[in-house]
Amino acid sequence: MPTPVNAARQCLTQESAAALDEAVAVARRRGHGQTTSLHMVSSLLSLPNSPLREACARTRNNAYSTRVQFKALELSLSVSLDRLPSSQASKIEEPPVSNSLMAAIKRSQANQRRQPENFTFYQQQQQQQQQYSSCSSIPVVKVELQNLILSILDDPLVSRVFGEAGFRSCDIKMATLRRGSSFHPAHLLGCTSRYKRPSPPLFLCNLNGLGEVGGNKGFSFPFMGCFSGDENSRRIGEIMLRDKKRCPLLLGVSACDALRSFLETVQRKIKGVLPEGLSGLSVVCVKDEILRCLNGDGDDGPLKLRFEEVERMVESCTGPGIVVSFGDLKVLGGDDANIDGLRYLVSKLGKLVEVYGRKLWLIGAAATYEVYYKILNQFPTIEEDWDLEILPITSLKFSVGGTYPRSSLMESFVPLGGFFSMPPETKSTSSNACEYVVRCHLCNEKYEQEVAALSNGGLCASVSEQCQSSLPSWMQTAEPRAQSGPSSIKGKDDSLLLSAKVIGLQKKWDSICQQHHFSQTLSKGYTHQIPRFLGFQVAEDRKEKASNNNSNNSNESSNEQGNKKVLSSSSTDLRQSSSLKGLSSSDMLSKANNLSVLSKSSEIPSESNGVKSRHFDSLNASINGGRRSPTSVTSVTTDIGLGIISASTGREPKTPVDQSRFVSKCPSQSSSCYYRNNQMHYDVKDPKSLYKALVERVYQQEEAISAIIDTITTKAISCRNVWINFRGPDRLGKKKIGLALAEILYGSTESLIYVDLNFPNEMTHTETLFNRQVTNKYDLTMRGTVVDYLVEKLSKKPSIVFLENIDKADLVVQNSLFQAMKTGRFTDLRGREVNISNCIFLGTTRLLESSQTICSGKKYTEEDILRAKGSSIQIMITFDLNDDPTAENSPQSDLFLMNKRKLVGRRTSTDQSESLEVTKRAHKASNSYLDLNLPAEGSEICDTRSGEYSDSDSSSENSKSWFEDFDGQIDRTVDFKPFDFDALAEKLLKNMSECLRNVVGSECSIEIEPKVMQQLLAATYLYCDKRVEDWIRNVVHRAFLEANGKFGLNARSIVKLDRCEGAASEEQLEGLLPARILIK
Amino acid sequence: MGHSLLEALNVRVVGSGDRILVLAHGFGTDQSAWQRILPFFVRDHRVVLYDLVCAGSVNPDYFDFRRYTTLDAYVDDLLYILDALRIERCTYVGHSISATIGILASIRRPELFTKLVLIGASPRFLNDKNYHGGFEQSEIEKVFSAMEANYAAWVNGFAPLAVGADVPEAVREFSRTLFNMRPDITLFVSRTVFNIDLRGVLGLVRVPCSIIQTAKDVSVPASVATYLKNHLGGRSTVHMLDIEGHLPHLSAPNLLAQELRRALPR
Repeated sequence: MPTPVNAARQCLTQESAAALDEAVAVARRRGHGQTTSLHMVSSLLSLPNSPLREACARTRNNAYSTRVQFKALELSLSVSLDRLPSSQASKIEEPPVSNSLMAAIKRSQANQRRQPENFTFYQQQQQQQQQYSSCSSIPVVKVELQNLILSILDDPLVSRVFGEAGFRSCDIKMATLRRGSSFHPAHLLGCTSRYKRPSPPLFLCNLNGLGEVGGNKGFSFPFMGCFSGDENSRRIGEIMLRDKKRCPLLLGVSACDALRSFLETVQRKIKGVLPEGLSGLSVVCVKDEILRCLNGDGDDGPLKLRFEEVERMVESCTGPGIVVSFGDLKVLGGDDANIDGLRYLVSKLGKLVEVYGRKLWLIGAAATYEVYYKILNQFPTIEEDWDLEILPITSLKFSVGGTYPRSSLMESFVPLGGFFSMPPETKSTSSNACEYVVRCHLCNEKYEQEVAALSNGGLCASVSEQCQSSLPSWMQTAEPRAQSGPSSIKGKDDSLLLSAKVIGLQKKWDSICQQHHFSQTLSKGYTHQIPRFLGFQVAEDRKEKASNNNSNNSNESSNEQGNKKVLSSSSTDLRQSSSLKGLSSSDMLSKANNLSVLSKSSEIPSESNGVKSRHFDSLNASINGGRRSPTSVTSVTTDIGLGIISASTGREPKTPVDQSRFVSKCPSQSSSCYYRNNQMHYDVKDPKSLYKALVERVYQQEEAISAIIDTITTKAISCRNVWINFRGPDRLGKKKIGLALAEILYGSTESLIYVDLNFPNEMTHTETLFNRQVTNKYDLTMRGTVVDYLVEKLSKKPSIVFLENIDKADLVVQNSLFQAMKTGRFTDLRGREVNISNCIFLGTTRLLESSQTICSGKKYTEEDILRAKGSSIQIMITFDLNDDPTAENSPQSDLFLMNKRKLVGRRTSTDQSESLEVTKRAHKASNSYLDLNLPAEGSEICDTRSGEYSDSDSSSENSKSWFEDFDGQIDRTVDFKPFDFDALAEKLLKNMSECLRNVVGSECSIEIEPKVMQQLLAATYLYCDKRVEDWIRNVVHRAFLEANGKFGLNARSIVKLDRCEGAASEEQLEGLLPARILIK
Repeated sequence: MGHSLLEALNVRVVGSGDRILVLAHGFGTDQSAWQRILPFFVRDHRVVLYDLVCAGSVNPDYFDFRRYTTLDAYVDDLLYILDALRIERCTYVGHSISATIGILASIRRPELFTKLVLIGASPRFLNDKNYHGGFEQSEIEKVFSAMEANYAAWVNGFAPLAVGADVPEAVREFSRTLFNMRPDITLFVSRTVFNIDLRGVLGLVRVPCSIIQTAKDVSVPASVATYLKNHLGGRSTVHMLDIEGHLPHLSAPNLLAQELRRALPR
């Protein structure tokens, strides 16, 4: 039911009522049956110094001129008003206020009542009303104009009208709230000048709470009636009213205080604290008697007397009953307590409860649980006997902590209504701000060129046309009028116009980019998203800048949201459609190319020597789109670079292969075709050389490598992102592959983004060393999430994303990955989005197929090797003297001898590995080396694995099923073989002894401590063969020479390489291969 | 309040799954503080979110100055919500004041909770003999008078301090929610908070607890976490986060989410 205007007017201040009258007049003029929010808006806009208009002016979008936007607003408003049904009957004198408008008024009333300055006022009013009249209705709140505006803007109809004119209601609300020109977060948070008052507003406690503060009883708040401040007592009362467990035992540091205050409440018969049923309780405190009974003299006479008294009282009691307080439980639990007295006390109290049941309560307190526990240990049934209920007391009484504040709480305070605080709102603004897609840099370049042309050369006809056509039609009609204004304004308008054009351009290039370019690279727009989050301040700055600075427009306006719905111009559309044609025609071409590439790449692994293979440059790498200005509508040549590669015989895989380029005109292309192909940022130049390069860096994984290359080459042709999962052991090998791929395909190792999804996993030394090569590494201490990090990095340039332990991914990462796989886009939590074509995603997992296990009888396991630490190495020389006394005594030298004998026995034979085997067995026998190799047999891997899974993930089965899903969707799963460290160890030993033989020339034997061997293996694993070989050739060789010179090695001597504990210098700790070997 | 309590406190249940997770925000924030934690759990948990009655997003009229003098009233609210949603077992994650509320709720209704995760919890903020709570009474009074003098200034000063780390986003978010609270309520609640002393009753807790504590927290010294662990009655573990600040869910959501995942019962 519509409300009569008079009734509505009563709720409004004079100012607001005037606005309402005006609205009513508008409605009457138009012959409408009701006065709606739209009428109100129209009236608000037409007011002199209209605050709404002012607010709009401040929020206006810098894409359009102020006047254009206001014109648009007027138009859309009048159109909406026209749409309202006019009443058939004769004009109503005062069209009543519609429900929606009335609701808005009510809303603003409620809002206003909630504001603190008004709060006290209304409370006062209410009190007065209650005092002087029985009428207790809500006092009438006169709505101020500002509040009215705020709530009217909430009306969907109104916000639609504003939206059509390019305003956002929430912006206007903001602008309404902050009226000063300076804009600072503090202002945003509420200090607006409007609310500053000459004297601090009365607030809550400075009102009339003075003087009454303190004391245990009745702290009265001005508006709340009697305030007891004793929540604890109330709770005690609640417990006492129960049927069972009705005797409260207060527990807590302040329990004794709570008890005291409760008893006081009862004794003084303060009303309003205890429940109705308990009024008229009487209290008996037996604390002192208990104390006397239990302490020392064991005088239980007074206590007995007291209990008799209690019994008498209960029997003669007319009220609800008696409360017997036994005070602090500590007394009962004291060490020096008289045990007989205690027993008597406990049983007597229990009996009292049992006998008098409903009429008698016990009450007591204990500071901590421990005190109660002690009693409970002595009397396990006390809880039942006494019918106790434990009541945690967690806070002192309110008034104890200090008097209640009485002050002017803050000078000015604007509760920012609902709209500022609501989480959904925040979310929507942030996501709006960031939803747009980043352009790739080529497009950005083009775009910037055009913008430059625009700002230098002034108005370019076609662009302005385009811009106009991008505006809603009614805006176009408004344009000429705007231009006919005074020249000074025109100048300003021009700049705004320009910025509108720039936005048009931006849109255009965005859409082009989105359509054709999958590689999203960093564009300026990207950095703009961040300031967006800094709040509205930026927007303000931007506007100011925009009006001054034409050349900056390109950046300024990128985030303006009003433009979101501006469609790309028709001319762009045209181009797009024709470019699609172009794409399809070139697709045919590329498909033909792909075929040949495919056939080649499949041969690669089998081919031993490079046959000259013709290979297309993956079509994507070097196709340059013609650079053209948007106005030229002539035909464009499309260059398709077909790289013919004559590679694969060259030794260095990294040198760029010469390419000769075919420039072909696309025959099928029609005249005005803009065409731009996907710019692939990596090109699989020559799969074969790639293979070679990889094999050179990563040992023992030839099969895996060929599978990877195969996948990449195949996938690269279809211009998609590539997803490969590396499964199995050889952690470092996988990383190496990732790093190598980044270097070869993307040009630098910086293109590897490394994320270990198994965060708690601590780094082993070797991995730490390895990870130094990785520059882009996600760290859990980084504030953003993994997804945020990836989006940020990927938006800079396409990269290889290396997701270690992908099976451990959390939900958010899982979802993002799935989504990315499906849509080709990565979206982070804030709504930023990045295209991931041309990216390679490498996941790793240590899991194998469930049936497979990696248990094997290997001597050196990956885990051990990775755990190896760098230390300095020393050479010790021992001699094979059977009668050496030390040899007999110490197990260590025993070990040497054993080994030596074996070694001497078959030094020349090839089975050095067996000698190592013996070493190991010897170690097994001698307990001193237990921690080295022995427990680290393959079985341990299994153990750690299962262990990890049992406790790593709360939903392990869930994540497993996810992982299976994931595994099924990715392009390829590559199995890695375990790295064969034993063979490597063999090889190393051989190298060493060869080296020694070269130095000494005779048959002296070498022995390498397992720990040293681990270290060397780790080095080999980490770096490469060559580096270790070099190290042997140089460092070890030198050491041998030195040792030879010092001791004169002969056939009976044993050269032993051992770790040198404690003497490690920093430089040696750095790497795994020390620069010098000590001689002892 | 009664029937409309769910509405008044903006109770939301999101996500799907058998397990129920209650996320309870702390002093000065509202449920939006969990926004960045939430996505990690919605798939396999039903997550219950609600606002404390003192939060800025709750109509201040609901804040009854007589009722909310101790935390017990907040506990009542929590238990009421859980009962109204017919929740029989849940995992409870509470931050700051809500951690305390969780402890009390678990004492009263141990059967309701499978586990408590306490973030930045403290049984007592004031120092005492043999106990380091982090604050002296005089300091507190200073804070209170600063709050009274100029709430806005206090918020602007306190927010970065509480967030602890250089994360402008989190500071902004915390200032926003803190400022949304009506200052008299803020003051009242802070007094309540500084009045609480749970030390005597920790032993009553039987529910296993995970205590998540950041390395540097202006409100809670690291020793408090150890104190909690030693005195809580149930099985309890301490997870130290190597970051700063009292609001890890705002400043380092990812890290906290990982830690939470680990802490949740499986």
